[in-house]
Amino acid sequence: MLSSTSSSDRAQHFAADRPGFVRLTASDRPGVAQPVPERDIPLQPWPRMFATAMALMLLALGAWEWRMRALGLEAGDLDDGASAWAEQRRRIDTENVQVAIVGDSRILFDTNLDRFEALTGTRPIQLALAGTNGRPFLEDLADDAQFKGLVLVGIAEISYFRDGIGLNAEALKRYAFESPSVRVSYLLHRELSRVFAFLDSSYRLSRLVHHVDDGLRAGAVASIPDRLWKLAVTGDDRQTTMWSRVESDPRVRAHQRAVWGVDRPSGRPITPIEDAVVTSTQEKTRAAVVKIRARGGEVVFLRPPSSPEFRRFEDVRMPRARAWDALLTAADVRGIHSDDEPAMQGLYLPEYSHLSRACATVFTDAYTREVARVTPRLALRADAPPALTPADCVAVDARVTGE
Amino acid sequence: MVFNSLTFVVFFAIVLLLHAMPFTWKVKKVNLLVASYLFYAAWNPPFVILLWISTVVDWWAAKKLVDAERPAARRAWMLLSVVANLGMLGYFKYGGFLLENFGALMASLGVAYQPPKLDIVLPVGISFYTFATMSYTLDIYLRRARPARNFLDYALFVTFFPHLVAGPIMRPTELVPQFEQPRRANANQLCFGLALMTLGLFQKVVLADGFLAGPAEAVYDGTKIPGALDAWAATLAFSGQIFCDFAGYSTTAIGAAMCLGFAMPDNFRFPYAAIGFSDFWRRWHITLSAWLRDYLYIPLGGNRHGESRTYFALMATMLLGGLWHGASWTFVVWGGLHGLYLASERMLRARFAGYRPSALGLFGLGLLTYLLINLTWVFFRSKTFGDAWRVLKGMLGLNADAVPILPAVDLIAVAVIVGGIVAAHWLMRERTLESLLARVPAPALTAAWACLLFAIVIEQGSGNAFIYFQF
Repeated sequence: MLSSTSSSDRAQHFAADRPGFVRLTASDRPGVAQPVPERDIPLQPWPRMFATAMALMLLALGAWEWRMRALGLEAGDLDDGASAWAEQRRRIDTENVQVAIVGDSRILFDTNLDRFEALTGTRPIQLALAGTNGRPFLEDLADDAQFKGLVLVGIAEISYFRDGIGLNAEALKRYAFESPSVRVSYLLHRELSRVFAFLDSSYRLSRLVHHVDDGLRAGAVASIPDRLWKLAVTGDDRQTTMWSRVESDPRVRAHQRAVWGVDRPSGRPITPIEDAVVTSTQEKTRAAVVKIRARGGEVVFLRPPSSPEFRRFEDVRMPRARAWDALLTAADVRGIHSDDEPAMQGLYLPEYSHLSRACATVFTDAYTREVARVTPRLALRADAPPALTPADCVAVDARVTGE
Repeated sequence: MVFNSLTFVVFFAIVLLLHAMPFTWKVKKVNLLVASYLFYAAWNPPFVILLWISTVVDWWAAKKLVDAERPAARRAWMLLSVVANLGMLGYFKYGGFLLENFGALMASLGVAYQPPKLDIVLPVGISFYTFATMSYTLDIYLRRARPARNFLDYALFVTFFPHLVAGPIMRPTELVPQFEQPRRANANQLCFGLALMTLGLFQKVVLADGFLAGPAEAVYDGTKIPGALDAWAATLAFSGQIFCDFAGYSTTAIGAAMCLGFAMPDNFRFPYAAIGFSDFWRRWHITLSAWLRDYLYIPLGGNRHGESRTYFALMATMLLGGLWHGASWTFVVWGGLHGLYLASERMLRARFAGYRPSALGLFGLGLLTYLLINLTWVFFRSKTFGDAWRVLKGMLGLNADAVPILPAVDLIAVAVIVGGIVAAHWLMRERTLESLLARVPAPALTAAWACLLFAIVIEQGSGNAFIYFQF
């Protein structure tokens, strides 16, 4: 029945004589020298089975790839994460970086790096992270003597005014130390992702299973990251945009809106952010700004838009006067708030919190021009393309979404 | 590097290729040694130095021990090895813990002492390779093993990458002889080795990381108060997760070694079908429990110096075994509970020596064993005693202000997967995996193999480290 890895003839006999082929282990041999282990090889046509199994797996994988592409996944979506962030962060160690962006998912999704570069000739490094407080990352840049450039800090008040880092605390640790193994795996995964659409962490098997459970158990509310299906697509340089299906598929869009929970209150009271957190955030921000300026750098704050549905929720937790206005005063910095800019009005936010792909370009165009106006650290190119207006994207989005 | 990473896929393909080339056996062993150092350095290159220190110290200690004529000299060289290895382990693994507890002790005595913050990084797998190198010196000291014929065979025994960072913990007599003769897997061994690696990676990537880690994490690491359903689901999920994680690692390691023509011992034997705790420890992490038995329990007196000494040796072994898993009192409690279970079982066996349970009775005792094992997992998984108490109270239905935590799909996944694991263990209790595979028709086996491969690839995995790497 069996062959064995042992060269001993005894092994084959022994295997056949053992009921259930159970073999002795170290637990059966106390206090003696343990012999060379015997491993049974079940009598099967293993090479043929291996070849057939691989062929079947590849066939199934081909079908899976086709299905994933039909669902809207795309090759070239590189997945964001700590290694991708650390790779961008390391550029500050080796390049003379002029502009860096920190913040949360809003400034991450709402910035079109190509548009920024076309307007200014400078391509910023994108260091914002979804679900993550931008303040510790501003402090990280402040502590880096190498960095002497302009920092654009994207603000979503409920993300910025908190003590913790949030979802992607790992990113800073990964920058401080990334093992060779993790680095190589990241690079391999990135190159494979350029070819295969199915390599998307949002659509792995165990996450797909959760798509069938839309609140089946009353009261069991998973965390927001666990309920997200897929929100964004990431390309080179961490250029991140909204996933096309959030714009085009009403079901996906409705699910995402429900995940934020801003138009379907849970019944729990929405509490304002504590004074102590506000004060410490202001102090830490001010200290970071002072450090960056001392080296000749500069900091400008940006507040991307959110929909009225989201804004109602945000204003209860942290109204503008207490958050934005007070922060600018306390840190003595310039800021660009989407409420104040005519070119940022009426932009389309499919799931209430982030701009559509088309409107992200319009928003980038508007804020880049404004940054160039408020600080001499950035200038528009002489041949910069003409300004965009909300009309340039709203009509496109209306066609895509039907809203 | 971890087995469940793309880096390992490339690494292993290169190692297999080099091992199949027509080099001399010595060159192949050098290739394996260099590959093993690369495997280890892929985490953190400077820590290879620790591996070298441990390797060289035991090589010289064993050499001197063999040459020594006086028993005292032999003993001194053996002690040098033990002190060097345990010293290194103690500093890196327990340095911070000891200082922290010393500070707490001083504070309780009214002495203001603020221990320095050491920020020691734990070298991956240090507990495993120090045990392997110590077993070399100790086996030679105990005259159970001959020294390796040359340094290359010995260094490869310590460093061989399949077992280096998370076992199975190999003894010199198990592995050194395998390096003395040329070994290369034939086609059947290579493909069966790949099948074992597929099974191991399926356990790790799909079951442990994909489906079971999440529910355990949501309850144990969250701040919500769990009721009975959530607390039990999370604990059962962890029981499945840690089995699939660690047994998955061992199976992958055994498969990887087999692909290269080497044999490694079983480390798990369907432990959730254990009837009693001595049976459990003959089935769970076999190479560790046997190591602790041979080099700790027996030297402490074992069961040959009266009952009291036996209970002392048992408790000391399990408490230290708990501490081996991590520098935290929760692990000590985990080990202590197992010590109490083993001691209680020993007493009950003596008291009811004539008792022969029926098949149903055995099954009931098996379920009771599994239930009590799950209670110990609460302390193993919890980061603090507060967390452990929160979950234990939930399991006992004592959390008045409990809220639902896990979504229905997680509860179903835990029930199906953990139920499946326990059922499989009972079905396989008196058999080996190989005996089952020998009976299943090849087409069915091929289809199952393809399904496992497909599930691994579409789950993708995020290269999460194996739980036991931290120990």
